[in-house]
Amino acid sequence: MLLSVNSDFVIDVRGLVKTFGSVRALDGLDLGVAPGEVHGFLGPNGAGKSTTIRVLLGLLRHNSGSASVFGLDPWHDAVQIHRRLAYVPGDVSIWPNLSGGETIDLLIRMRGADPNRSRRSELIERFDLDPTKRGRAYSKGNRQKVALIAAFATDPDLLVLDEPTSGLDPLMEQIFNDCLGEHKARGATVLLSSHILSEVERLADRVTIIRDGRAVESGTLDSLRRLRRSKITAVLDGRVPDLSGAGVHDLSVTGQSVSCTVEPEALPGVLAALTGAGVQSLTSTPPSLEELFLDAYRQQPVKVGA
Amino acid sequence: MSSYVGTGILTRQALRRDRVIAPVWVAILAIMVYASAAATPTLYTSAAERLRAAEAINGNPAVVALYGPILDVRSIGELSMTKMTVLYTVFAAILIVVLVRRHTRVEEESGRLELVAGTAVGRNAPMFSAVVESTVLSVLMGVFAALASIGGGLDVSGSLAFGVTWTGIGLVTTGLTLAACQLSASARTCAAMVAAALAVLYVLRAVGDISAEWLSWISPFGWNTRFRAWGEPRWWMIGLYVGSAVLLIAVAQLLRSRRDLGSGVLAARPGRATGSRQLSDAISLSLRVHRGSLITWSVAMAALGIVFGAIAPGVSGLLETENAQEIISRLGGPGGMADALVAAVLSLTGIAVVCFALAVIGHAGGDEADGRTEAVLATATSRSRWFAATTVVAFGGVLWLLLVTGIFLWIGYGVAGAPAGAHTGKIIPAALVWAAPAWLVVALATALFAVRRSWTVIGWILPAACLVISLVGELLDLPDWFLKISPYTQVPLLPSAELDWTPLLVMTGIAVVVSAFGWWRFSRRDIG
Repeated sequence: MLLSVNSDFVIDVRGLVKTFGSVRALDGLDLGVAPGEVHGFLGPNGAGKSTTIRVLLGLLRHNSGSASVFGLDPWHDAVQIHRRLAYVPGDVSIWPNLSGGETIDLLIRMRGADPNRSRRSELIERFDLDPTKRGRAYSKGNRQKVALIAAFATDPDLLVLDEPTSGLDPLMEQIFNDCLGEHKARGATVLLSSHILSEVERLADRVTIIRDGRAVESGTLDSLRRLRRSKITAVLDGRVPDLSGAGVHDLSVTGQSVSCTVEPEALPGVLAALTGAGVQSLTSTPPSLEELFLDAYRQQPVKVGA
Repeated sequence: MSSYVGTGILTRQALRRDRVIAPVWVAILAIMVYASAAATPTLYTSAAERLRAAEAINGNPAVVALYGPILDVRSIGELSMTKMTVLYTVFAAILIVVLVRRHTRVEEESGRLELVAGTAVGRNAPMFSAVVESTVLSVLMGVFAALASIGGGLDVSGSLAFGVTWTGIGLVTTGLTLAACQLSASARTCAAMVAAALAVLYVLRAVGDISAEWLSWISPFGWNTRFRAWGEPRWWMIGLYVGSAVLLIAVAQLLRSRRDLGSGVLAARPGRATGSRQLSDAISLSLRVHRGSLITWSVAMAALGIVFGAIAPGVSGLLETENAQEIISRLGGPGGMADALVAAVLSLTGIAVVCFALAVIGHAGGDEADGRTEAVLATATSRSRWFAATTVVAFGGVLWLLLVTGIFLWIGYGVAGAPAGAHTGKIIPAALVWAAPAWLVVALATALFAVRRSWTVIGWILPAACLVISLVGELLDLPDWFLKISPYTQVPLLPSAELDWTPLLVMTGIAVVVSAFGWWRFSRRDIG
């Protein structure tokens, strides 16, 4: 086996490859999650998010590359790692004949904690869950709440959340955000896999965008934004100057209004040209995460059927 | 009639899903019928012998309770089909229960029915398609039973009437299962309720056949005998089967129309708001999940033990032919005959209890498919512990159920008064020896699950094959090497036989090695 990588990252994944038969689910993935950060893990369905998480949980064995959690090997030291983390899967399945309350307590006990000394009761109230219902009677959203309450009730060092808000209503999403904020405030590290970009934009310190099993973007939102085009719209006093040139795209002019997207290095030139022509109004919008995301997917044609 | 739109497509899909289990099950039952019909002339060579055998059956209340009486002691058909008329129709009923439940309540519990209900499929179509499929199967079951009986040498008209009773049981069971599947939201509870209903009907008939006959007229199992298939068939009784089936289906339909999708007529009791301190790890979870099933199995095995324990002492009265007398004396007199019956019952018990263990392993496969295993393994639970939680309940459950059977056989034996020469004291060990082949089969099934989750279901072939070899192997005079494939043929037939540790230790040893391989493999494979 590979030597455990000496790094400051809580989760450190390098060149991870995982194949299922002839399908390459992960194809050289890199992912680093620093202590105390909320790390957004983005990608569309089938990009390899859940596969990565399953490797990190020691459920799947990877083919090559390296993965470590808390500096330990997730395959060999699964139990040791799992004592310090809590996991919420995207599609929660619970035992049909156990009540929600029993399931929550069971999961907490199985992580080695004591449910009676946890925030379980308070969270059941906040998430408005009826803990006496049997597992089979819960809706998808309520099953999700069971897993979230079990995860948030104790103080794990790492929270691994795989599309944790799927099935939750906006009210419950708000409570989820609050809970995540509380855990972040006490210094927990969070890996938040999602394709709900507004959620990640609001909560994440750094993001990694993956595509076809490979990381295509990684960094703080600011740093990613700085590399991307801003959208400029302006209404001018007089005639619109000729803005076309290197780094300017999607140029459209209607009368005295102009809009375009501008690459960072072309921005000073464009602004100077506009100011020179006399500006009535000017807005410059940094790219939203959604645009970054879509951009990352536009760079190369997406493989069909991949 | 728009509420029935889609019945055709759903029925075709159901038949497709059942394309293996239904034909195999029906074929096995047909083979049993054939073997029974074909074996009778060699067992009883003269009409006088048959007469004595039939009278002996009627003269033994315990046997009548189990198989039903022989109404016409001169009928070769009735004697040949003693076991097939009532007892084996229970196996036919089980197939119907499995399939009807599978296409109704199981689909509903899993949420798949909701997916279907959202398409252009009428409200009544799912239930109606289950009725259509089950009716088709019931008719086929009757047809094949009749053909097998004719093939075995019995007369054509009697065989056809006999087939009708099989179809009849299938139809009534269809209605019963459909009605029970409306009651609880849990598919497991629904299955337990149908099983209980069938057991009650069987016992009603048993009591009716030995004392108050009107009770037998209440139970469809009693109708099978009273249809008089081999004499002057009471064709009007078809109306009883069909009428009660239609009535039950109508009740099911009414209950269905008054409840919501996914719920049961009986509301689920609320559970505990917090978990018990005992429910804290994988093993306690596994015990908790299988507790209800283990209790049901224990009660069933205890009842079986008591009944057969009580029957066994009287069994030598059954066979008064010259051949049989010779066999009896070779076996060591009436006591030896009783011992032989105990051994025969236990050999089947040894296969039956494997089904409990396979259900446990199947559950582990289901947990993995649904993501519950993932949730458990993401806690501080190691794979070895999770694997142990499954195997401990599977292997331990087998031993426990055999012990229960042995204890209650022994009690039943004591109540009925064991005949001279019977090895009463060895009944409990006689039950426990079957743990060895059972463990071997369970170990193989565990290994299949451990190698690949999708292979879990293949494990069911193992006990089915052993059962077929045990039941028809000797009747059909199959070669010795073929019979020896089944580990069940290697077990010393206690209580009369000497306890030979060698085969038991060898089988247990193989079971341990195979289980260890399973553990090794499960620790290394991908989960999900």
